[in-house]
Amino acid sequence: MSASSDEVIIKATGLTKVFKDFWGRPKARAVDNVDFEVRRGEVFGLLGPNGSGKSTTIKMILGLLYPTKGHLTVFGASPRDVKTKARIGYLPEESYLYRYLSPGETLDFFGNLFALDSGDRHKRTEQLIEMVGLNQARTRTVGEFSKGMQRRIGLAQALINDPDLVILDEPTAGLDPIGCREVKDLILALAKRGKTVILSSHLLSDVEDVCDRAVIYYGGKIQAQGTLQELLSERDQVRITAPALSREAMDKVLQIIRADTGAEVRVDHPTQNLESYFLGVVERARAQAETSGATSGNQVAEFIRGGAEAGTSQSERVLERLTKAAAASPLPDVEVKAPEPSVDTAKLDALTKHEPAAEPAVPTPAAVPAKPADLTKANEKLSGLLGGKK
Amino acid sequence: MQPLLAITKITLKAAIRFRLVLVLLGLLMTAVVVLPVIIKHDGSAQGFTQILITYTLTSITALLGLATLWLACGSLAREVEDFSMQLVCTKPIPRWQIWLGKWLGLMTLNAVMLGVSGVTVFALLHWKASGLGEAQQKVLREEIFVARAGAREPVPDLEPQVEQLFQKRIRETAVANLDREFVRKQIREQLKAANQFVPPGKGRRWEVPLGPDAATRLQGQTLHLRVKFISPDYTSEGTTFPFMWEVGPPEGKRRQMIENSFSAESFATFPIAPDQIAADGTLTVDGFNVSEKPVLFPIEDGFEVLYREGGFGLNFARGIGIIFCWLGLLAAVGLFAAAKLQFTVAAFVSMSILFVGLSGSTLGQVVEQGGIMGIDHETGMVDQKTFVNDVAVKVYGTLKQALDLVTGYNPVDALSTGRSVTWTQLGTAFLLVVVLTGGTFAGLGMWIFTRRELAAPQ
Repeated sequence: MSASSDEVIIKATGLTKVFKDFWGRPKARAVDNVDFEVRRGEVFGLLGPNGSGKSTTIKMILGLLYPTKGHLTVFGASPRDVKTKARIGYLPEESYLYRYLSPGETLDFFGNLFALDSGDRHKRTEQLIEMVGLNQARTRTVGEFSKGMQRRIGLAQALINDPDLVILDEPTAGLDPIGCREVKDLILALAKRGKTVILSSHLLSDVEDVCDRAVIYYGGKIQAQGTLQELLSERDQVRITAPALSREAMDKVLQIIRADTGAEVRVDHPTQNLESYFLGVVERARAQAETSGATSGNQVAEFIRGGAEAGTSQSERVLERLTKAAAASPLPDVEVKAPEPSVDTAKLDALTKHEPAAEPAVPTPAAVPAKPADLTKANEKLSGLLGGKK
Repeated sequence: MQPLLAITKITLKAAIRFRLVLVLLGLLMTAVVVLPVIIKHDGSAQGFTQILITYTLTSITALLGLATLWLACGSLAREVEDFSMQLVCTKPIPRWQIWLGKWLGLMTLNAVMLGVSGVTVFALLHWKASGLGEAQQKVLREEIFVARAGAREPVPDLEPQVEQLFQKRIRETAVANLDREFVRKQIREQLKAANQFVPPGKGRRWEVPLGPDAATRLQGQTLHLRVKFISPDYTSEGTTFPFMWEVGPPEGKRRQMIENSFSAESFATFPIAPDQIAADGTLTVDGFNVSEKPVLFPIEDGFEVLYREGGFGLNFARGIGIIFCWLGLLAAVGLFAAAKLQFTVAAFVSMSILFVGLSGSTLGQVVEQGGIMGIDHETGMVDQKTFVNDVAVKVYGTLKQALDLVTGYNPVDALSTGRSVTWTQLGTAFLLVVVLTGGTFAGLGMWIFTRRELAAPQ
């Protein structure tokens, strides 16, 4: 999905956080002896139910909470090191922004905290406001924004310093489907540039769409961790995706499979992803109407795209890439095959005579983004995993 | 520097956007403009001063002081409570700079508010003064719209005499060890009273050094005597005590004779003729108690010679400068409390520090009594020396000295009596109030805020 390196950005060893009461007595063990590493360029997911320790972990990484036990380093230094913070961008789970500032003032303020010079601040502010679609809402203050718009400006402030490590706590909460998709695309764009992203989310589909690796928390402990492929693939089942088959061809295929496995085989028509369908409808509507709220389909800020992509045309627009998903996937690592014009029964016959591959290739979650069937399985698996520990 | 200024700017912006500036300005203008309209003065220079300087400057100080404490607590504690501080603290700015930035923001706001109020008061003073009678305008020009320095007779060192009398006393009578300090105190008080006491029909001489070049420096200048006395026979407010004064070198032929009468327990000021200062710079004044009752002029503030040393404008600005120093301390106290506590608790704590902590009376009492344990109700002194009492006296004494230094500058009193607020006083106030006391609160506040876990459950 993204090219991660061996450079360790965050290292937690035996990380423990115990909250104490007024008298110093232990009240809650929010994080309990946790070990993990996040490497450069990774999109790293933090999953878990409410109160499982995700936010506490993030706040320790940010130096807002101090570990009770264990060791935690960010870029090889203490999370409380001020210089380290210059390389981090953080989007909190709620809008922790000043309600009386406009989007421009908000970004200017945070730009000043990063000691950006006036020219850079202005340029980045313009690009980020354009990117998060708040051009139409420049004169309004953050306090007047909807939750989704607050998320957008929150995301923009997290990127003002072009951070090497981006920590996103529920980044898609409150966003409409277009916004969600854009955020996910942005995460992938960041990862492509070698940025490290930590994503904490309740929405399993978000994590599944963009993360390379994930840890699953429960009760302050890590219950599972690994790449998504390791976590999600079912080695005892395969899926074959093909163009529509004739009745005879289908019967032949099923016959062969049944003869080989003796098990029940399910056949259905893949349905279009609701997200893709929704985006198509909105894109058509957008061409005909204006809005005073947040707009979509905006270009990723130039300084975030990096020099290599700096001059890309309007065709790079996130939403456009997205709405053309039927023809070309928006995800950089996805391989898309052109649909075949018709079923070649001779080929199918030849295929049926082949020995089945010992280890059929399992499509990675990124290769088939957000397909409902996959999500159901993923959710089932994760729920089972969590439930099994209960 | 850039992040620090960003915090300063955002603190100011918050005050403006939440319309605090507007409300505060409204209140200040009400105090400055409306108050003198509602409260009419009696047409005298003193009444005019009382309302236009004392009331307005006191109101401004009180309003800005309370607003500063409130804003200081709010700007930090509220941002921690609504989590916006969490986001700021994930940026590359040390926590001490956040604290300092807030303080600078508040002080910028105070500078603007105090500047606007001060200029308004100053302009009103001069505008309204034109409505007074000619004689009262003259009094204003000579006694209020000036910067006058004060000179007093040096306080005599009574200790050698105290010790001498004490030794004599213990030779003559058996004084128990425990009562020695009490006896010393009694002797000291007797000597002090004798120095201040003027029986009926008797007089007392004051010799006030005004500096070696005073005769030439103050040539042709009308000086003023400021006196205050107390009398054991003082019964009602309307009672006055007649006095006779002779001013000038004792052997001089041009001694000025003055007769007047005053009420007890309040300050009275009267002019004396120019050029009565001796060549060595000493002004000699003989005062006679013509009444039938004894009077007592306190050593500390019973008799003072006032002379002009500068103009009113700069003096007024320096006075405002001292008020600004006080606001700096209050901002530091508020931010110190808010560094750890929730808004309401921080506001309560900082108010308590203001009203109770800075009150020196308890401290003074402990030092006077010689301790905190085992007080004899008859003598008002501690019965016996103990380690705890010794430590208490030392700690409380040091604190009292520090507080006396800090609280010893009241610019409103000085301005309303035409007294000088010197650059030295302003500098000392800045050092003691802002740098030393405010700095202590600032250091503690920054340290606490830096160590605080901002995301911990409240």
